[in-house]
Amino acid sequence: MELVYSAERSRQEARELPDRELAVQARTGDMLAFEALVLRKTPAVVSVARRIVGNAEDARDVAQMAFLRVWEQLSRYDETYSFNTWLYRIATNLAIDFLRSSRSRERAHTATLHLVRMREELTGSETSRSAEDDSASRLFDRVAGRLTGKQKAAFVLREMEDLDTSEIAVILACGESTVRNHLFNARKILRREIERVAPGLAGRSVKKP
Amino acid sequence: MTLSCGEVRDRFEAYGAEALAAGERLAVREHLRSCEPCREEASASDPLFLFAGAGALPVSENETAGVLASVRTGIAFKSAERRLQGPTARRRAGALLSAAAAVALTLLAPGAPARRAPTDALATKSGPAGRSFVPASNPVPAGAILPKAGVTKKYPADATIYDLSPGAGEPRVVWIVDRSLDI
Repeated sequence: MELVYSAERSRQEARELPDRELAVQARTGDMLAFEALVLRKTPAVVSVARRIVGNAEDARDVAQMAFLRVWEQLSRYDETYSFNTWLYRIATNLAIDFLRSSRSRERAHTATLHLVRMREELTGSETSRSAEDDSASRLFDRVAGRLTGKQKAAFVLREMEDLDTSEIAVILACGESTVRNHLFNARKILRREIERVAPGLAGRSVKKP
Repeated sequence: MTLSCGEVRDRFEAYGAEALAAGERLAVREHLRSCEPCREEASASDPLFLFAGAGALPVSENETAGVLASVRTGIAFKSAERRLQGPTARRRAGALLSAAAAVALTLLAPGAPARRAPTDALATKSGPAGRSFVPASNPVPAGAILPKAGVTKKYPADATIYDLSPGAGEPRVVWIVDRSLDI
């Protein structure tokens, strides 16, 4: 009884610690600290991975792989840097690799076929209305298929997660100018795809670069 | 930084071109989050503004618990894998270190063949006992293999030392076999 209470108390204490301290504790083999990190970070990691790989099931796989890699590489974590950046770096790279894999390509192909069929069934006005009714996330899934893994990751981290380009550069292991280049190309492709998939929505545009 | 609706709308193009400072960008995003007319105006000017306010996707507690359970299983599996592989890996590392030490000792020892002229390789009487694999009083004939010279304390007790001395002018070759290692 005392042991159960003690474990629960440690769990509670771990939940209140900042990421960096939890990571440092986890590095010494503290599983409670590591599990607190997993619980805290899973929603963000799954959300980013979901946007990059395009479906929830693969996103959960990516998140699991990311946390396992974090656990394996905790000894390499330098606590002078943000734990979030390090975690995003691992998760984003895994998601990009996953996207490149044949399995993901196969699923993307199936999803594209589904979209083409869906589009064929709709009239123009219905299409624009449908796109307008879509949530931003669904619209993104529909139009982001032509982005490369890095373009997609850069756009998701910048526009949806609101990270600085300097932080994205660390996550993607490239220069800030490369990040800006990825963002520029991603925006160009996304605008073109929105115009193709949801012309009604794109037609409302006042300014186009 | 707080911006008015007009100021926010003036910055739409700069936002899309990544030309805003961090503070301005944050102010635009915060304003759009709370101002419906500006949000509509923004997505009308550039549909990509729809994604700016998308935020994180909802992840249920069940999903989070599922990820944690899988991570726990993965860690248990990897720990078991390490326990199975670890000793072998340690033995391999030990064997490599031992072999490297033996080679270094052979080459660096004062009585080692590499540091002497080949002609007097067998006849030397210099060097402390145990460093020379061939006892000075019992020189090994050319081409003979001498097992277990075993006079040194630097090798494990059950190590076997082979000394192949082909003859004058030929390089001398020494093997040290540590039978306690499982390679």
